[in-house]
Amino acid sequence: MAALRLAGKRSLELLKLHFKPAKPSEKFRPFLMRYGVFTGADGEQLDEVLAVYMPEKHSYTGLDQVEIFCHGGQQIVRRILGELVGSGARPAEPGEFTKLAFLHGRIDLTRAEAVAQVISASTEASLKAGREHLFGAYSEHIETIRDDLVTVIADIEAGIDFLEEDGESDNAASLARITSIEQKIARLEQSYDGGRIINEGFRVVIGGRPNAGKSSLFNLLLRQERAIVTGTAGTTRDYLSEWIELSGFPVNLIDTAGLRQLGGSIEKAGQARAEEMISEANLIIWMVDLSRKTWPSLLRHDLTELPKIPILLLLNKIDLIQQTKKDLVRKIDSTVSSSTVITSCKSGRGITRLKTKLVEAIESHMPDMTSGLVVTSARHKGKLGQALRDLRRARKNLVAGESPELVVFDLRQATSALDEITGRIYTEELLGRIFSKFCIGK
Amino acid sequence: MVSTDFDVVVIGGGHAGVEAALAATRMGATVAIVTMDPDKLALMSCNPAIGGSGKSQLVKEIDALGGLMGMAIDATGVQFRRLNLSRGPAVWSTRAQADRLAYTKSVVDFCRRQRGLQIIEGVAGEVLVDHGKVRGIRTESGEVILSKAVIVATGTFLGGLIHIGPEQTPAGRLGEPAACKLSNSLRNLGFEVGRLKTGTPPRLDGDTIDWSRCEPQPGEEPPPWFSYRSSPRELRQVVCHMTYTTDDTKRLVTANLAESPIFSGQIKSTGPRYCPSIEDKFYRFAEKDRHLIFLEPEGMGTSEIYPNGFSTALPESIQRQAIRTVIGLENAVITRPGYAVEYDYCPAYQVRPSLETRRVAGLFFAGQINGTSGYEEAGAQGIMAGINAVNHINDAEPLVLDRSEAYLGVMIDDLVTRSTTEPYRMFTSRAEYRLALREDNALDRLTRYARQYGLIDDQEAVAFEKLCAQTEQEVRFLRNTTVRVAELGPFESRFKKQTSVSLSHLLKQPGVGLEELLLIMKKGGKPRRPASDALRRAAIQIRYEGYIAKQQREIEKFKRQESEVIPDGFDWQNMNGLKNEAREKLLRFTPSSLGQASRIEGVTPGDLAVLAVHLKRFRDSPA
Ligand SMILES: Nc1nc2c(ncn2[C@@H]2O[C@H](COP(=O)(O)OP(=O)(O)OP(=O)(O)O)[C@@H](O)[C@H]2O)c(=O)[nH]1
Ligand SMILES: [Mg+2]
Repeated sequence: MAALRLAGKRSLELLKLHFKPAKPSEKFRPFLMRYGVFTGADGEQLDEVLAVYMPEKHSYTGLDQVEIFCHGGQQIVRRILGELVGSGARPAEPGEFTKLAFLHGRIDLTRAEAVAQVISASTEASLKAGREHLFGAYSEHIETIRDDLVTVIADIEAGIDFLEEDGESDNAASLARITSIEQKIARLEQSYDGGRIINEGFRVVIGGRPNAGKSSLFNLLLRQERAIVTGTAGTTRDYLSEWIELSGFPVNLIDTAGLRQLGGSIEKAGQARAEEMISEANLIIWMVDLSRKTWPSLLRHDLTELPKIPILLLLNKIDLIQQTKKDLVRKIDSTVSSSTVITSCKSGRGITRLKTKLVEAIESHMPDMTSGLVVTSARHKGKLGQALRDLRRARKNLVAGESPELVVFDLRQATSALDEITGRIYTEELLGRIFSKFCIGK
Repeated sequence: MVSTDFDVVVIGGGHAGVEAALAATRMGATVAIVTMDPDKLALMSCNPAIGGSGKSQLVKEIDALGGLMGMAIDATGVQFRRLNLSRGPAVWSTRAQADRLAYTKSVVDFCRRQRGLQIIEGVAGEVLVDHGKVRGIRTESGEVILSKAVIVATGTFLGGLIHIGPEQTPAGRLGEPAACKLSNSLRNLGFEVGRLKTGTPPRLDGDTIDWSRCEPQPGEEPPPWFSYRSSPRELRQVVCHMTYTTDDTKRLVTANLAESPIFSGQIKSTGPRYCPSIEDKFYRFAEKDRHLIFLEPEGMGTSEIYPNGFSTALPESIQRQAIRTVIGLENAVITRPGYAVEYDYCPAYQVRPSLETRRVAGLFFAGQINGTSGYEEAGAQGIMAGINAVNHINDAEPLVLDRSEAYLGVMIDDLVTRSTTEPYRMFTSRAEYRLALREDNALDRLTRYARQYGLIDDQEAVAFEKLCAQTEQEVRFLRNTTVRVAELGPFESRFKKQTSVSLSHLLKQPGVGLEELLLIMKKGGKPRRPASDALRRAAIQIRYEGYIAKQQREIEKFKRQESEVIPDGFDWQNMNGLKNEAREKLLRFTPSSLGQASRIEGVTPGDLAVLAVHLKRFRDSPA
């Protein structure tokens, strides 16, 4: 099933041109779904479709609007689009519908951004965060914080403009309020790490010495799980990046070049890249080749050099050695506190357990999605951080007995930062930046 | 019938009218003030004081633009002090008690000496308009005065109606007739005329007050003068007093609420929330048992006292009882009763940011007619209307100050984008760029305009330049002079890691002002430095520089939006894509820039984006 949307004065006219209703006697009524056939200009019947008309001001875009639901198939959709364009429609620019909706006051800025996210959402978790924003829980939350902030400002301002003789204003109350606002914003800001995982996927980087079986694992996981995005091109000497979905979470799986490899400059470059990738991971899968005699000492050394990021240790090629799990674990327990899985990429042993461990790790990093209060946009995080810095300064000044006009200055700055999230304050650049992010004409 | 020709006719000789007339004459225009009583120019109808939070900044701006208010109060004030001293120099606000009659006399004397200014006794009854252009006025007695511009500055006289208890008397001030014909003339010209209310307390005979029961409040020494042009004078400052209402006051006022026209339904218009009547105070803040009352002298040669905070419209007999329930006023005698006054105003969406009316070219509104209250707000608009009346006559661009330049700009922008429905009073919190709009730098902000329009003479300009040079010198001194941390006394602990610290650094510490700094220098054995104006200015400049640099980015953003000018002739009617509410608001206020449109209530970012699109289309379309 595919949905096509037309907006603008001539929408209904275009629909009538191509839509042959099953019950011709019935008239088009707003919001009434009708069944019929979509025909080309030459009379050819292209597809059975459902069509609905939404009048100006009541539609998403605020303009006269028509939606057509067809049976899909790239081919058919393309033909129907072609027919409509042939009759005078113009393909929407990226984000144009949402922009229209925003411009007509149907949605506020955070919602517009949420639409962008829903559109580009490729997994369920991501979709959910987008939807929560869309339904406004998030803007409402920010509005409440802003409201608190304005109350504090008003209290302090009153002390400046109105308390000519009545003594000092109540600093303790203001301080308590500011602290509580700070906490709320901080919590929201911190949710970005989780929000980013929702948006950009959980980054799992497979690292290890050369020949440990990294690429084997990478391919194995790709084969077993649904790949949702085709990967960034890279040579085996550089790195490979693919997307898989693990129980509803988007996972960005990255295969790197083996570290400590002797070789030419290309290999050196690959190692540098691998190190960079590893340092940006949400989780490192560190693979060890059990068939190599020296592996325990190598591992001990490597672990001291890895960044402080959660590590999942994979003892691979178990099929090649005759040791019990107990023996192996005894060899490493002095060095490792991270969780360990014993695998064979050849036999597939331990792979299920690995996946369970992966999902556990992801879940422990995921924000609480039930509140819907997750920051998923870097722009929002930036603004929240700015507000937080302003609030901290205000609080510090208040405590130090700094005069109230300066305390208010920082509080007002914090308010502006929040306003820029909900779009209360209008700046052309801001709009431009947001709408340029839209990649389809929803 | 005598016809007289002037460049500008100013209707009304209040605070707005006087500043308007003086500014216009200084710019070389011939000006007539038409007023009921030429001996009562710039009379203080309400409280005998100039300045206060937000207002003093306006007075300093009037002064920087060559206006009279600051000099007049310096010459006739009886007590001067600064409010908000514990709250940072950006909001320090000078306030002075005036000798009411002396103030008026000094303004009358000044105006009589002003070349090019004539004061005509009369009541304006009609604004004469020909083809949308102002032609002059006709007085109620039929005299026609022709002019190229007319400034309406009528205060509370326009359709004034005084209420004392159930009694109603048409009057502008107690005992002075109202101007009713003029309102009708404005209505006939198509102006929307609304109604506002304000009030004043009864006046008391100071000899009947038991001062021993009230808390004295002396002035500040040396007196903080308003004008940089005044030469300091010897002044033995009078003492004000504070007192409180009692439970009896609360009981009495509450029991008689129904007798007050404010509560009986007789007065329908809105009064100012920030200056409520005593009835309002006890009604709206029922949980508060007592209210503060300031007892302010009306002048040197009179024993009359203004009980600030006791504005009322109760019947006179109840006022008499009620006032005697206040501590120290047990035997007080009322010399004049308090009252509420309703008057006409024209919601300010009808004027442009230049204060010229949209409807009639050459007709300007200033002061209470635009919905403001207060002498300072009136005077500030007066000076702008005077300047722009002459600019209009000269076919020159109007002078419009923006929100980042002056309180004056904040006020006029608020008026034209919001059209207040309650009397508008200035507050420092209305100015978003408050840290940059201070008493101490009004000159730096506005002197160039004063020079551009010839509002100050060369001597004054030179004096300002000298002050700037001295200030810079003091800034350098403060930056380059260091003191040893060991000598900092109570501030020592803040600089644990250093052995010495610059004075400029110290000034940025909470609790360190110029006074503390001078003390530290003295202890450190530094040569004594007089606390000159220049040094004071330098210290304040340094204290705020970090913040102002930060604010500058906001100001630039603001200026960008202001520079998106919406030209005259822009087609407001055919803008599709707008919500109805927004369309109505935009049509009503016809903002002159995108920035201004953004400040109109009810206009959303979405509406603005639509407006921006139409504006671009309008600009791009071949003319
Ligand atoms: N027996 C056995 N062989 C394995 C296992 N995993 C990988 N191999 C083999 O080990 C060799 C190296 O595997 P790769 O996956 O290319 O190793 P890599 O870590 O990607 O190596 P580099 O990219 O060169 O660093 C291949 O021949 C694999 O078939 C395993 O679990 N058991
Ligand atoms: Mg490999």
